[in-house]
Amino acid sequence: MARLNTRAITAGLVLAVLALIVLAPMAGLLNLSGIPGYEPGDLRFWQSSYIRRVLFFSLWQALLSMLCSVLPAILVARAFASQADFPLRGLLLRLFALPLVVPAVVAVMGVVSVYGSGGWISLGRSLYGLNGILLAHVFFNLPLAVRLLLPQWQTIPPHHWQLGEQLGMNAWQRWRFLEWPALREALPGVMLLVFMLCLTSFAVVLTLGGGPKSTTLEVAIYQSLRFDFDPAKAVVLALLQLSICTLVAIVTLRLQRLPEVEIALGSVSKPVAVRQKWLNTLLILAAGVFVAMPLLSLLIDALGGPLWQVIGTTRLWQSLVTTLFIGLFAALFSVAAGWFLLQYSASLSLAGKTSKAQLIDLAGSIVYVVPPLVIGSGLFVLLSPHFDVFAWVYPIVIAINAVMGLPFVIRSLGPALRQNHARYHYLCQSLALQGWNRFRYLEWPLLRQPLGLAAALVAALAMGDLGVIALFGTPHSATLPLLIYQQLGAYMIPQATVTALLLLVLSLTVFWGLERVIGGKTDA
Amino acid sequence: MLEIKQLEFAYTTEAAPTMQFNLSVAAGEILSLIGPSGSGKSTLLNLVAGFLAPSAGQILLDGIAIETSSVASRPVSIVFQQHNLFPHLDLYTNVALGVDPSLRLSHEQVDTVAAALDQLGLSDLQRRKPGELSGGQRQRVALARALVRKRRILLLDEAFAALGPALRAELIEVVKKLVRDNNMAALLVSHQPRDALLASARTAFICAGKITALEQTGDLLDHSQLVEVRDYLGLV
Repeated sequence: MARLNTRAITAGLVLAVLALIVLAPMAGLLNLSGIPGYEPGDLRFWQSSYIRRVLFFSLWQALLSMLCSVLPAILVARAFASQADFPLRGLLLRLFALPLVVPAVVAVMGVVSVYGSGGWISLGRSLYGLNGILLAHVFFNLPLAVRLLLPQWQTIPPHHWQLGEQLGMNAWQRWRFLEWPALREALPGVMLLVFMLCLTSFAVVLTLGGGPKSTTLEVAIYQSLRFDFDPAKAVVLALLQLSICTLVAIVTLRLQRLPEVEIALGSVSKPVAVRQKWLNTLLILAAGVFVAMPLLSLLIDALGGPLWQVIGTTRLWQSLVTTLFIGLFAALFSVAAGWFLLQYSASLSLAGKTSKAQLIDLAGSIVYVVPPLVIGSGLFVLLSPHFDVFAWVYPIVIAINAVMGLPFVIRSLGPALRQNHARYHYLCQSLALQGWNRFRYLEWPLLRQPLGLAAALVAALAMGDLGVIALFGTPHSATLPLLIYQQLGAYMIPQATVTALLLLVLSLTVFWGLERVIGGKTDA
Repeated sequence: MLEIKQLEFAYTTEAAPTMQFNLSVAAGEILSLIGPSGSGKSTLLNLVAGFLAPSAGQILLDGIAIETSSVASRPVSIVFQQHNLFPHLDLYTNVALGVDPSLRLSHEQVDTVAAALDQLGLSDLQRRKPGELSGGQRQRVALARALVRKRRILLLDEAFAALGPALRAELIEVVKKLVRDNNMAALLVSHQPRDALLASARTAFICAGKITALEQTGDLLDHSQLVEVRDYLGLV
């Protein structure tokens, strides 16, 4: 009982801090609507054509990106599921995990490198705008959707394949009676997740769109704060963004059938005709080339660019250290907060209070609904009248990124921690194994692998962030993504390409390093 | 009717010995297969069904070799322990799939499905989903599908393992009638010697990929002198 109380107190503290970081800025935004100088009449943006255009474009590009990512992903996932013996299967599935780690701005540079002027498949100026945004979003979300959908084929019992074969089902009938029923359970969740990711995408739209014709709510918030100095407009946009995200999140929760972050992607055995085999191979290779091309092109361009000149600048190293600092501290705080929340929710779960446990997990994932730029802009309007927010850039950016990473921690660490708790809690109690000893002898050996994965994911996410740092960063406190953005703004494309490559190398090194150092070799 | 001659198979991934089977099953007979786990009972059923390809030997039905036929064209129906039904389809559709997977059924075929459901006592449940049924009812549906398929060989792979003793006995009676009325040859794999006693006049004992005994069920279970059989039955 005492342990439960200690857990309740620590989880309560975490939730209080979370509320302060997430809810206080929102309260600040709401409050701003009523302050002198911003009478409701001033908020005429609600009816303005600008808002309507931004809103339409936000939803339109998210819808198109979702369709262009998820529909091909179904075909590619099906091909992967069928081709258990495909020689490059493991390698390609690892490649498909990369976009989880690759910073958005690096992917943008890769897309520009392939599809921009002088690229392998040049789209010229038409890259900038909807085309470029779609390409970058599909680069990120097609592999993600493949990895999320693929496990659905594994849920089909092997006996069903055998029955299908015995009943003489053709490919269409197998799809109709075996595959589609398994797939449709996860499909709405995956589609909404991709829709939400594209709706709140910032770096991609800022760098490849951003003009009046192709601005999303997220970018419009940033522009209204940083360029127009108009907090009232930012408030309207942020509230609009919040309402849409809440709506999407509610629908997603209703359909909640999203697989965990990292599921072992095995294969199923099922009959495949020779022609289908060739088609599957073609599909897998095409998807592989689509994902690999931007990274490969970026690598080639950067190695042929002013590599030594960029490496020789002090600014690059300052940005690199800042990026690393923000990434590692955000990971530390996020994993610690997630750990305490999950410990409490696991205790509640074991005590039979499953609804309360789910509520705790849900509270930790609240940032799914509140985009970072909304938190950032809320903090901006809340804090800027009282002190110089630019001087507090590091704590603010670390805090927001730690909160942003919390859903990843909960999804990747949660299942293992809950299972561990359910299996060993009573044994621990009978052995009086608690506190540090429990962590040292039980939790660390069994949970270090998901802990490592959680830390690596949050670090990569924070190091690639462009939204919050673009709002609060200055030239002196720039991270590598902000430096790339600044280089792009100054038309220093070759330098930006080199910086992007270095950011990619740093992100991958930190991701794999953390996963290996913390994760080690699990005893489970 | 069903003859298995020198049928050989070896798993390539394990350092397992080559399995070899010889047996025959008459029309209207249920032959039980018992033996320790991993002895090859389910492998034999998978070979007959066509899920595995033998390296040598023959499977004959009324003297005609079927071991090279595709799974769909073999005169075989199989009932597993679980996952026999598609959970998102109602009972009627699950059974109708056995007639034609395109579900384009003629009036006559619709009547066949209805008759099978009626015969298995499922007429009132035909619009229910498998999740709304008991374990015994689900296995009845699988048997109804086997009935509408009108295949001469019926394979039962631990089909009643998840059921209680009374329900097992009841379903075994259903299967016996089904096999007798439709002149089928059936192979029943079970871990329960009592199932063999209830279902079969003859029972084969499989050990390490070979049929080491094939006798009257009562004799095998009560009087076998084979060490493997006595060991399996816990008599040693």
